[in-house]
Amino acid sequence: MTILKSNFLALLLLASAVFMTACSDDDAPEAENEEEVINEVTLTFTPVAGGTPLAFTYNDPDGDGTLTAEQDDIMLSANTIYSLAITLKNTVGGNNENITEEVKNEGIEHQIFFGWTGALFSSPTGLGNIGAGNQVNTLNYQDEDANGLPIGLATVWETATPTIGTFRILLKHQPDIKSASSSSEDGETDVDLQWNIEIK
Amino acid sequence: MISRIPKTLIFAALLLTHISTFSQEKKDCATDCSCIISGVIMDASTHEPVPYATVQIKNSEKGVLTDEAGKFLFNKLCEKEFDIFISHLGYKSVIHHHDIYHPDLVVKLAPSDVILESIVIEGSSIETGLESMTESKISGKDLESMQNESLGDVLSNITGVSTLKTGQNVVKPMIHGLHGSRVLIINNGVRHEGQGWGQEHAPEIDAAMADNIALVKGAASVKYGPDAMGGVIIINPPKMELSTGHLHGAAGITTATNGRSINTDLLLQQGYKNFAWMGQVAGLYQGDLSAPDHILTNTGARELSYMFGSRYHHKKLDLTILYSHVEQTLGILRGSVVGNLNDLDIALKAKEPFFTESFSYDINNPRQEVSHDLVRLKGHYNFKDHQLNFQYGFQANTRQEFDVRRGSNNERPAIDLELFTHTFDLDWQHAQISGWNGTVGTQWLYQDNNNIPGTNTIPFVPNYNNNRFGIYIIESKALGSLDFELGLRYDYQSSSIRGRDTENDIYKQDLNYQSITGLVGVNAQLGKNTSFRSNFGTAWRPPNIAELYSYGKHEFTIDFGLWRHSTDEFGTPISSTDVLDQNQKPVDNELGFKWVNTFNHTTKEQSLEVTAHFNYLKGYIYSKPAGIAATVRGPFPFYIYDQTDAVFFGLDASYIYRHSTIWESQIKGSYLHARDVNNDDFFIGIPPNRISYELSHSKSLLGLDEFSAAFETSYTFEQFNSPRVITVAEINDAQLNGENLFQQDRSNFDFLPAPSGYLLMNLKLQGIVNQFVFGVEFKNILNYSYRDYTNRLRYFADETGFNMLISARYKF
Repeated sequence: MTILKSNFLALLLLASAVFMTACSDDDAPEAENEEEVINEVTLTFTPVAGGTPLAFTYNDPDGDGTLTAEQDDIMLSANTIYSLAITLKNTVGGNNENITEEVKNEGIEHQIFFGWTGALFSSPTGLGNIGAGNQVNTLNYQDEDANGLPIGLATVWETATPTIGTFRILLKHQPDIKSASSSSEDGETDVDLQWNIEIK
Repeated sequence: MISRIPKTLIFAALLLTHISTFSQEKKDCATDCSCIISGVIMDASTHEPVPYATVQIKNSEKGVLTDEAGKFLFNKLCEKEFDIFISHLGYKSVIHHHDIYHPDLVVKLAPSDVILESIVIEGSSIETGLESMTESKISGKDLESMQNESLGDVLSNITGVSTLKTGQNVVKPMIHGLHGSRVLIINNGVRHEGQGWGQEHAPEIDAAMADNIALVKGAASVKYGPDAMGGVIIINPPKMELSTGHLHGAAGITTATNGRSINTDLLLQQGYKNFAWMGQVAGLYQGDLSAPDHILTNTGARELSYMFGSRYHHKKLDLTILYSHVEQTLGILRGSVVGNLNDLDIALKAKEPFFTESFSYDINNPRQEVSHDLVRLKGHYNFKDHQLNFQYGFQANTRQEFDVRRGSNNERPAIDLELFTHTFDLDWQHAQISGWNGTVGTQWLYQDNNNIPGTNTIPFVPNYNNNRFGIYIIESKALGSLDFELGLRYDYQSSSIRGRDTENDIYKQDLNYQSITGLVGVNAQLGKNTSFRSNFGTAWRPPNIAELYSYGKHEFTIDFGLWRHSTDEFGTPISSTDVLDQNQKPVDNELGFKWVNTFNHTTKEQSLEVTAHFNYLKGYIYSKPAGIAATVRGPFPFYIYDQTDAVFFGLDASYIYRHSTIWESQIKGSYLHARDVNNDDFFIGIPPNRISYELSHSKSLLGLDEFSAAFETSYTFEQFNSPRVITVAEINDAQLNGENLFQQDRSNFDFLPAPSGYLLMNLKLQGIVNQFVFGVEFKNILNYSYRDYTNRLRYFADETGFNMLISARYKF
């Protein structure tokens, strides 16, 4: 019982100590490095044969807020082979957090899926790999994770003849479920953007 | 606000005049041997009075027999406290340490052939101010058979109480459709303070630690302070009785097939002449639960709780000290995590939740780790015919929520909070003055909430400190067969808020809230078997932290708190990066006006209780859909917190018919209607109506001292009074066509219609041999697949299927 009682006393002391310190506090939460939000996505198309890289950006200045995002339309030359690099950032407020590396390092949990309309590309053919059962459709992924599965931060595209359409990128977070057979319908969506695209 | 101050002064003046009347005190009864004690002795099983029971005062010659009505009276006593010994042939005898300060002693004698313990009910201080309130209680055998259930599930056995669930482990009790900050919990005598602002935050309390749980359905703010708009839940620990003679206790174990869980508990207590102690411990280890057609992956749970207490009694002074600890790790269905609306749509259409795996005891993300510690020091001091009660409580509460996140952030909590609360209570139960009994009391609360750094996400709620002071008076008077009750209270709260906005900039605010609350009640005894109670009470609460400051995505919606949204030049709601304040956008207290009427008729064969309730809530805070926000994850509906006026009304009824001493039938039902009166709309998540029937049988059989069986069937109706449905496809189509679905019609909506009604059947068997109680219980016997409207995960998974529980308990 004495042990019990001294425990109570210790707790009471603790309580009063917390109370004393708590009375004078007016501290704000410490600044956190926001690593949750992605608000800026840039698609950089670089002609493989050489030439100026073309960058197209989606930027939602307030992240989850209601401000409308600004989104460039993609414009590419016809019959050209491009390498596409995707960068993901958080720039809300004063932040400048690059999330691309994080996704790359966590490659075994992430995959970017692509979808498009019409005959935009001569390679890859088809309409992309978004949707259940469509994961088998071939894309020109240029990167892979530790298990040899594609990530999609680096891809290659060959444009067809001039046309217009839409181009969708879908980044999925698939912890423990990414596999050769997992599709865009598995896991949680981190990015889902549709771009207007014109092949000139 | 300034205009209210004179009222406060008047109130203080009233108090002072009231207190000054105490100076005309009566003489001490011990000096002229005029102390009186009276009480009533009842049968603990039938609640019938026990005539001719012997009541003796130990170590004296004094002894009386109870009359036909089970009543006894001692007068001309020269002492104020004594041990009384109550006995009757065929009943377990009881020794009880009693004093004259508890005038209404009720002793429920247990027949000697049942395991039931005799119960002594003193007119205890917790009930003052609640005399005209409707109170329901769960105790003894009923509570013991629910050792592995959450507090919310235990309480839902009372008519009018339902639950707001997030899966199976996170269960919040709802009283007449209100929950969270609108239901007050008094845990071990202290206002329970935790992170109650979230819909997915259950009270950090282990029901296995309770000796009995009482529920007050009225607005009891006068007695307990803000938040008691829907009602009050009072959780009482085992009482530390003096002079128990030997070590008492109980040890129990329950296993369940669904979740393959094991639950154990142990209670020890002993009382001496002026000292008593108790200690108890309980634990739960549970794996994945399962619905009839699939496993509910990641719904395991761990729980450990313990409590120690000691009591010291010396003549006029009674002191108790109590320490309790609860820690829980609660898994949340893995398949309930979605990234955007399309994910939600896929999940809604899926046959079984995503990520469903085979059974496991592992708990991964999403999960919650919470703890609650309480130290309570309580005492009362009796002088003349007054009683002074004082109590200090210190609570430390931690909450960590782990979400499915990228990379190493998966190991970090997304929400990491600590909350320290100090409460001081002081009240004075005065001696009767011209027929008036009553209490004058004050309460002080100091609270400190902090975000623990390292979450790698901007804190969802700010840091804050609350300072609250309340003063109240409650008086009651008997007039013939009527008991009247009046009460008045004043509260003042000041808060200091420090948070971070989306740009990581600091915002600071100081807020002040105050309110006056009152109650009027009457308790009428209409003849021998019938009573009627009516109580009208007001209640209030300041807006909580999430309602003011929420910003951003939470699960599959985006929420903006009252001070995080405004409107653009076209009147369309938009989020505000600046944090607004009371000057830019006044936010008033939520006020409640609740009227509860209860009619009770009890005879030897039957008991009927009907409760009608009506609650008008002014400035009711809720979140409503306001538009679609385009984000990098795709379109999201966004919700804004707003205030409206609401009515909640309904009926609770229960009827028990005792066919014989062996067979008993019970019918229970509850009806509730809730409406937004300003917008003529329904709210989401209002519990549907429910009826149940139970047939029970109790007899000594097969060598068992007692064998009981109870079959219960309940039907829960579909919630027809639910908001309109807008599907994900409709939202996506509108977005593609550039339409704003919420421009014309901002009424509430849901992604799915309310689930259809369902019928459940349960069977409970119990046998008692000597000091052992064995039980087998079958839940959802038909293994019926259903979804519950007030489970927030109803979009993703069915409720649990068949479950068999086996329990054993030893009492000594």
